[in-house]
Amino acid sequence: MSRWFIALGGAFALVGSMSAMAKPIAFAGGYTVMAEYGAGTMEELQFFYAPRYDLSFGGGYLKLNSDERPETDNLTYARLNYLAHRWNLEDAQASIFVWGGLGSATGNTFSGTVLAENAGAQADYETRRVYASFKTDLQRSSEFSHRIDTLQLGLAPYKHEYGGVATWLLVQAREYTGGIHRGAETALLVRLFKDGIWVEAGITDGGKLQAMAMVNF
Amino acid sequence: MKALPRILLLLLCAASASAQAATIEMNVSGLVCAFCAQGIEKQLRKFPATADVVVSLEQKLVAVALRDGQDIPDAELRRALTNAGYTVKSIERTQTPIAAVRERLKQAKP
Repeated sequence: MSRWFIALGGAFALVGSMSAMAKPIAFAGGYTVMAEYGAGTMEELQFFYAPRYDLSFGGGYLKLNSDERPETDNLTYARLNYLAHRWNLEDAQASIFVWGGLGSATGNTFSGTVLAENAGAQADYETRRVYASFKTDLQRSSEFSHRIDTLQLGLAPYKHEYGGVATWLLVQAREYTGGIHRGAETALLVRLFKDGIWVEAGITDGGKLQAMAMVNF
Repeated sequence: MKALPRILLLLLCAASASAQAATIEMNVSGLVCAFCAQGIEKQLRKFPATADVVVSLEQKLVAVALRDGQDIPDAELRRALTNAGYTVKSIERTQTPIAAVRERLKQAKP
């Protein structure tokens, strides 16, 4: 199974494709709601409002379940996202986002509520046929330090048009630090979007569900 | 006789309105994702002068149908596209009805 994932990932890399990820800023005056279920190890819900095209703020909830040991952490945070740079090219778009936030965390390996800090960044590149993104997201407190690195590479079987349904086939590789999951977790995903609704779902190399949904309005 | 200047003024206004562009066509960079481009339509429809909006990823085109006798300044159009996350390369005003633009885009589909 893993060999198959590696071969597919290599094929994507060979054609120079990488896949794009959900963006934390929609457009000036726009709202973004995102929900993700990450193979039983992470669940996240986020809501952002963008007063400007390069800035959004909002909050989120993240639950991390270790599959290595009996540890569960629950984080609630407020976050500011900033579009550090965007390249609007002739046939492509690329962006770099950074974010930071503060929140609170509870867990079953410590008592009470602790202050949690959040910081991260995302770089993505997409054309109408290929898409690539890398995201790193750190959640830190006096009791834990968890970082989730996610790489997505994607290929569209056809060029979608405005108002139509877009289809993407993706390979995702994710690595957790902080004892949530040992080694890299890979997943094969199908992404569909139309108008302001985006859904993606697939299966990890461990046979678990990986899913994400997003709405922009 | 007193009504003559008023009639002339009305005729002038009508002539000026008919000379206004029916459609604004913009060439836009970075237009590759329909999900991300939702903001373009939302930004452009905020203008009272906007009657309709057409977006084509294939032609990298955003077209705005204008209401009779109305227009949107270039600076406002550029700001709207910037707020949507895109860059305007060129702006052209034409008398082409938006239905004809739609048909042209349909014909141009690969």
